[in-house]
Amino acid sequence: MNDPRKNEGSEPTTHFGFQDVPESQKAQKVAEVFHSVAAKYDLMNDLLSGGMHRLWKRFTIELSGVRTGNRVLDIAGGTGDLTKQFSRLVGPTGEVVLADINASMLRVGRDRLLDRGVAGNVKFVQADAEKLPFPDNHFDCVTIAFGLRNVTHKDDAIRSMLRVLKPGGRLLVLEFSKPSSNLLSKVYDTYSFNFMPLMGKLITNDADSYRYLAESIRMHPDQDTLKAMMVEAGFERVTYHNMTGGIVALHRGIKP
Amino acid sequence: MVISGLLAGVELGLNRVLRLDSTALPRLAGLAGRVIAVDCQKPSLQLFILPDGEGLRLAAHWAGEVDCRLQAPATSLLRLATSREKTAVLHSPEVELEGDSAVLLELAGILQDLELDWEYELSRWLGPVGSQLLGSHLRSRASWTRETLDSLRLNLADYLSEESRSLVGQREADARFAELDRLKLALDRLDARVERLAQKNKPIA
Repeated sequence: MNDPRKNEGSEPTTHFGFQDVPESQKAQKVAEVFHSVAAKYDLMNDLLSGGMHRLWKRFTIELSGVRTGNRVLDIAGGTGDLTKQFSRLVGPTGEVVLADINASMLRVGRDRLLDRGVAGNVKFVQADAEKLPFPDNHFDCVTIAFGLRNVTHKDDAIRSMLRVLKPGGRLLVLEFSKPSSNLLSKVYDTYSFNFMPLMGKLITNDADSYRYLAESIRMHPDQDTLKAMMVEAGFERVTYHNMTGGIVALHRGIKP
Repeated sequence: MVISGLLAGVELGLNRVLRLDSTALPRLAGLAGRVIAVDCQKPSLQLFILPDGEGLRLAAHWAGEVDCRLQAPATSLLRLATSREKTAVLHSPEVELEGDSAVLLELAGILQDLELDWEYELSRWLGPVGSQLLGSHLRSRASWTRETLDSLRLNLADYLSEESRSLVGQREADARFAELDRLKLALDRLDARVERLAQKNKPIA
């Protein structure tokens, strides 16, 4: 795919929120955001979504079709909400890999899961979604929840996920998207550009990270664009389900 | 989303209740990995039940394979949930079962055998003395209520059969039923005798 941001003789740029930054710097900047919010990530998720993120993740689990003995990869698994549920579903004969590029998030997730007795069938791997360190045709299901918008090269990441999936395996992408109604979109804009940075300032003393969150959501591809990206990468039967009026969408594709 | 939210709340409450029984969770662990679909026909509603060692997971959707599917109207499902004899409800004609019914029967058995230790749960909140006092008070009230209801039922039956003569008494009814049974037997014997005589007097062809 041709990237209009690429100029001859200079490093290509990508977006970091509403800013354009050199591609080599985006991962570092995203890492700084997540190092900053890791400790209070769960609390902020509950506060900012009003607990709705639990229902969005619940729906993701329901559409995953994961069964006993399956091998599941939870990319950008953060504090391990999905991993905990997958660990229950796959049982002792299955395996769940919680992967995150950010060491702080991975540490918080690992500690949280171990404290809750989730162990035995869970592995923790620090990995870049664009270059997944797993063999081809290895997983029955791959999920990435609220992580794809932070990835620098989304096409590469989707192709990498396709590679590690077994034929017939499912990719589930849970991500913020574009609200389906204009009125909801206006309310949502006001909420995310005013309330979210304010809450970030009050609770984590870091308004910038939550401003980045709001901006990165606006820069993320909408439902149909992401669907087209998954089809182009090679997924079949790609569908998406809007949740909470399209504020969040769950895309699902099957590896042929 | 609304149904998912409701199911999440029900699941949370249900699993708390299941934890009050010492054998329910280990028995549910034996059903881990099995999926039961419940199709309510009137009103149209679908529910998936996934048991495991941590309790029951309730889902409004399930993309994977289903081991057992139960189709029934809401009234039958309600009877199934509240009745002590769940297997009897499962065999009623309006209830349809597809797939591995053993999974559903095992789950019904686990739920039927629940013996909830409410006093333990109370003691976590009130302490041992408070829970013992409240428990013994509740038990004596429950016993008094049970005895009162039994006594009321017996008195009402006596009044209706012996005093107002609105209903036939149990003993009187038993005597009449016994007479009817004897009469039926005598008729059967007479019938058999007539049949035998008819055979005996039949001209040989």
